[in-house]
Amino acid sequence: MSAAAPKLGNPSAQNQNDVILKVRGLKKHFPINSGIVFQRQVGAVRAVDDVSFDVIRGETLGLVGESGCGKSTTGRTILQLYRPTAGTVEFEGRDLTSVKGEELRALRREMQIIFQDPFASLNPRMTVGSIVSEPLQIHNVKRGKELREYVESLLEKVGLNPFYINRYPHEFSGGQRQRIGIARALALNPKFIVCDEPISALDVSIQAQVVNLLEDLQEELGLTYLFIAHDLSMVRHICDRVAVMYLGKIVELAPTDELYDNPLHPYTQALLSAVPVPDPMVEENRQRILITGDLPSPANPPKGCNFNTRCPVRMDVCFRDPDPELIEVSPGHWVACHRVP
Amino acid sequence: MGVLMEVKNLVTRFQTQEGTIYAVNDVSYTLHEGETLGVVGESGSGKSVHALSIMGLIPMPPGKITNGEVWFQGRDLLKLSREEMRLVRGAEIAMIFQDPMTSLNPVLTVGTQITEALKLHLGMNNAQADNRAAELIDMVGIPDARKRLKNYPHQFSGGMRQRIMIAMALSCNPKLLIADEPTTALDVTIQAQIIELVKQLQKELKMAMIWITHDLGVVAGMADTIQVMYGGRIVERGPIKSVFGDPRNAYTLGLLTSLPRLDEGHNRQRLTQIEGSPPDMRVEPVGDSFAPRNPYRTERCWTETPPLRQAEGSVDGHMVAAWYDLRQARKQQQQQMEGKR
Ligand SMILES: Nc1ncnc2c1ncn2[C@@H]1O[C@H](COP(=O)(O)OP(=O)(O)OP(=O)(O)O)[C@@H](O)[C@H]1O
Ligand SMILES: Nc1ncnc2c1ncn2[C@@H]1O[C@H](COP(=O)(O)OP(=O)(O)OP(=O)(O)O)[C@@H](O)[C@H]1O
Ligand code: SF4
Ligand SMILES: [Mg+2]
Ligand SMILES: [Mg+2]
Repeated sequence: MSAAAPKLGNPSAQNQNDVILKVRGLKKHFPINSGIVFQRQVGAVRAVDDVSFDVIRGETLGLVGESGCGKSTTGRTILQLYRPTAGTVEFEGRDLTSVKGEELRALRREMQIIFQDPFASLNPRMTVGSIVSEPLQIHNVKRGKELREYVESLLEKVGLNPFYINRYPHEFSGGQRQRIGIARALALNPKFIVCDEPISALDVSIQAQVVNLLEDLQEELGLTYLFIAHDLSMVRHICDRVAVMYLGKIVELAPTDELYDNPLHPYTQALLSAVPVPDPMVEENRQRILITGDLPSPANPPKGCNFNTRCPVRMDVCFRDPDPELIEVSPGHWVACHRVP
Repeated sequence: MGVLMEVKNLVTRFQTQEGTIYAVNDVSYTLHEGETLGVVGESGSGKSVHALSIMGLIPMPPGKITNGEVWFQGRDLLKLSREEMRLVRGAEIAMIFQDPMTSLNPVLTVGTQITEALKLHLGMNNAQADNRAAELIDMVGIPDARKRLKNYPHQFSGGMRQRIMIAMALSCNPKLLIADEPTTALDVTIQAQIIELVKQLQKELKMAMIWITHDLGVVAGMADTIQVMYGGRIVERGPIKSVFGDPRNAYTLGLLTSLPRLDEGHNRQRLTQIEGSPPDMRVEPVGDSFAPRNPYRTERCWTETPPLRQAEGSVDGHMVAAWYDLRQARKQQQQQMEGKR
């Protein structure tokens, strides 16, 4: 069974047909092995389980959901850092899952990733200059003086003094390190960047700096972002459209304001109502939809709808019928729930 | 409500290879019975160290409390012997941490860990302790309480472990619960469950609470009083509605305005950012440590440390440490902007 593929429906995109990335039926299952001498597979973690969506050129598509629901795996499988178990990923019309070697390497230049942890993702023994220029050297793009000048211009672009080119990561604060990671990601002039929780590890007072930088760069360079996050307030600010994931599947996808003002999936409703708002007056009058229970294991997903163990409005069919498909209930608004429409 | 605890001029430092770390610099405040105090501030601002100092849990060396008094129920906690302090901890003041595994013993069952405390502090016998432990586990919403007491910590999910920690902390009816980022590692839906639970238990047990977090939304939803820390100092404190509605310290204002809000529509307006980075705690603070990042700073901010005092024209107990008059400065700024238009 394959989920209905979302059609294009991004009211805020200028050219509705300009799809940069097309993901169809994407699956990534990690094997669970047992046995010491003879390893045999006893099961699988269904980290990403049949996911389909489009990303439109120049937009920021948000990917949200609870820890372990498969956001990072989706991002990495798109970039072919993990090879998918099934499905296709078309980048500018070419299917990445069927290309290899030199061709894949060339395509990868156009797609980059920024990681969550600016402390862990930078090699502590390399200077800022060599960190940022490494991708250029791997792809043998620039050399010598030209390379150095280019790296300096990248540092400037992300708001770092080029003077710091010979320093090491530990000499920088969290926000500055994240800027180094961004400069590195920009080095090869990518078109598409997966931002995997780029601000989660940063202080609140630094987050706005990095978000503003990402937005400025997007405008200046025409970048497209897949923005993975769990801070739903920040996602509302930065994203044009948002996809909500639960246990390896997309349960709802809609233009940002539509999703926040009119969430239709019971999980999205619970998720949004749980987000605290920094305003005592608002908090005082807020009604929360509390859901009980914890996220089930993706190695052993429930039978029927994935959300049926916690859903406050579940019905008999939710246990009996297969997982509901993602369908378009109004232009651009996709939901997977037996109760909707 | 009567006074429960008075912290006076607390100073805590660490001697490390890199030199002295000025972690807590002259912190004083009063906590009332039944009050919920939310402590916010960026990473490294001294929130945890201040709480650990109160609890007698600072590792010495490298740490040292070089000054201060903590009056709790007629005794100065900083003068108690190790043994006396051990009895206060758990029975009168309990603490829960961000990572439950730091306080749960992985090789003992959850039941054993709770009953040990009940026997030590309340002198219960085995049967009484077993019954009470089951009641507590049930109270924090873990089904099948009696059976689950025989499980080890790793057999529970993250959210359940956090609830077990809360059950343990509340087991001896403490007068004060100190919670250090207890929900930061959890998903928002689980966080909402835990906060609801704690609020309800607090009402039943009539205890005071210190809730340390970097999430202003969480504070807005549960605290009576907010205390903002920066560079090891309290820079503002007061009733939440007053501080959120009329902040008087430039750092508090910066925090509040840099946050995007869930209840505000998607617009691509730039976030207001606080420039620069947090202070280096290895440098002895001189003056107001926010001065380098503060657009409203005055000459005096560079050289003299502003005392925490009643904010003029605000409600009683709204205290601020600032040499500038933020209200006045913002008014002038606005007039200038209007003048330009
Ligand atoms: N390399 C791997 N091998 C085996 N299992 C994995 C691997 N990477 C991820 N998983 C599992 O796949 C599931 C999805 O993980 P993933 O990291 O994609 O989640 P996430 O949504 O990014 O979560 P978080 O918000 O915590 O980053 C989890 O159950 C995880 O344990
Ligand atoms: N055991 C220790 N040894 C040396 N320095 C320490 C120790 N514990 C804390 N510090 C330092 O004391 C300062 C205050 O730390 P603290 O843990 O109180 O920050 P915090 O406000 O709780 O931050 P966070 O939000 O990251 O938890 C920091 O500069 C920290 O590096
Ligand atoms: S399909 Fe049923 S269980 Fe699943 S979200 Fe909808 S109502 Fe809830
Ligand atoms: Mg992830
Ligand atoms: Mg801390």
